[in-house]
Amino acid sequence: MKWQVYRSRWVPTIMLVIGLLFLWEFLSWLLLTLDVPLAQSKVPYIHELVITFTQYSGTLFSEGSVTLANASLGFLLGAVGGIVLAILMSLTKWLEQLAFPYAVASQMIPILGLAPIVYGIFRDEQLARILIAAYTTFFPVTLNMLRGLRSAEPSSLELMYSYAAKKWTIYTRLRFPQALPSLFTGLKIAAPLAVTGAILVELMGATKGLGVLMLRNLYYGPSHNYMFWLTVLFAAFLGIVSYFIVTVIERIVTPWQPEFRKSGGDK
Amino acid sequence: MTITKIDSPEIMMSQVSMCYKTNSTEVLALKEVTVNIQKGEFVSLLGPSGCGKTTLLRIMADLLQPTSGEITISGGTAKEARLARKYGIVFQSPVLYDWRKVKKNITLPLEMIGLQKEEREERAERLLELIGLSKFKDQYPWQLSGGMQQRVAIARALAIEPEILLMDEPFSALDEFSRERLNEELLSIWSKVGSTVVFVTHSIPEAVFLSDRVFVLSPHPGRLSKVVNIPLPRPRREEMRNSPEFYQLISDIRQSFEGV
Ligand SMILES: Nc1ncnc2c1ncn2[C@@H]1O[C@H](COP(=O)(O)OP(=O)(O)OP(=O)(O)O)[C@@H](O)[C@H]1O
Ligand SMILES: [Mg+2]
Repeated sequence: MKWQVYRSRWVPTIMLVIGLLFLWEFLSWLLLTLDVPLAQSKVPYIHELVITFTQYSGTLFSEGSVTLANASLGFLLGAVGGIVLAILMSLTKWLEQLAFPYAVASQMIPILGLAPIVYGIFRDEQLARILIAAYTTFFPVTLNMLRGLRSAEPSSLELMYSYAAKKWTIYTRLRFPQALPSLFTGLKIAAPLAVTGAILVELMGATKGLGVLMLRNLYYGPSHNYMFWLTVLFAAFLGIVSYFIVTVIERIVTPWQPEFRKSGGDK
Repeated sequence: MTITKIDSPEIMMSQVSMCYKTNSTEVLALKEVTVNIQKGEFVSLLGPSGCGKTTLLRIMADLLQPTSGEITISGGTAKEARLARKYGIVFQSPVLYDWRKVKKNITLPLEMIGLQKEEREERAERLLELIGLSKFKDQYPWQLSGGMQQRVAIARALAIEPEILLMDEPFSALDEFSRERLNEELLSIWSKVGSTVVFVTHSIPEAVFLSDRVFVLSPHPGRLSKVVNIPLPRPRREEMRNSPEFYQLISDIRQSFEGV
């Protein structure tokens, strides 16, 4: 019974993916036979990618883990900062009015421009990466956390009021748990951004990390084409993984959310 | 009619009016309502939808400031009573916290008054037993039916054994059988705790069965149109629902509505 449900759900997806892969291979072959210049840079053979991957998976994973570690540190830093700022803003109206425009304005600075500045100031590629990752994380987390803290229903607040609850008790018993779903929305947006941010700083000049690998293979030209593609794909994969990790944590922390409720029937 | 008494009433409202103002309109929800409720008394507020029952209850609970009029709760202001945590309130909707399981919802007010964990657990278990939801204590609120949720809300209000119990149509989501059973349970708890109860309902039989006095409200604007004494003996028993006195009281109250 259960297996059938899974099968009926997965079969179309798998078919679609296989279909797309074949289409890609065919396109790749087509471009090559038509003698399009730099055909393999545009649509590389998948089997070649797979072969390259088996050869260089060690490098990818070791460089990727450096990137992921920096991105994670930055993500944590940005998330904590964002949560704290959101709490302060929800507590005091004037702080929100004061800080919010700056928070918005900070998002107008392109990371591409900010990264070399940060790097120039700290002269430390590790720290620069962490800070940029934190910077990209910070805003979506602040925004969503603040919205979450404000989302408590009037009736829920009235209940607290009827208990003569102190302000901080209202936060711990009502506003924080109520804000969690919204906070996780912010974290899910931020996690892949943190990875991208970290890679961006690596492109600016670092010794280790996916960004370095990407740049190097781009630099060496067509001979390293497959490796370049692989690096890009791997970077995307890391972004997806980071998103997935946040989703798993969300399920554990907030099992009561409507989207996780079983609709009944199958257990 | 005079009630001889030494103390002043537990709840005193005199000439209370409430006018809701929105941008364009004004709704006079209550007009010069004067009620006195004795300590330990069980009164019902009865009236058609929109006549201001919830409004009156919210003013008593210090959740709403009246436009004019005086209100005194056990000698002080409503705010003092609220800060002293004298109220247990059952809202018209359950207002349970989604992230707390059933039992944790019931222990919420007990956490607020700083009760020890064992004591909290014990009281919650007892109340769960009472509302017949022991089996559901580790479920989330959304896994319960509307009537079950409302029962949890009642248990939560009873948990702190409040001096003043304000209930806004607590049984309206229940079927007739559960409703009558819980009517009796409520009376038995009340006789033990001795709370002052203000009970809002649409149901005339329910008001008669439960109350010492029934306050009949009439709409547009909400006014107190009649106070009916219920001289049925206590403890009230299920058989009383079939007594001629019971029917007489119901028809008296019904007639007072037709006059409106
Ligand atoms: N927040 C509000 N703003 C404006 N008008 C309101 C508000 N709350 C209630 N009213 C109005 O006040 C009147 C009385 O409302 P109230 O909720 O007290 O009635 P009720 O007797 O409790 O009705 P029901 O039995 O349907 O619960 C209604 O006419 C309603 O439109
Ligand atoms: Mg109402």
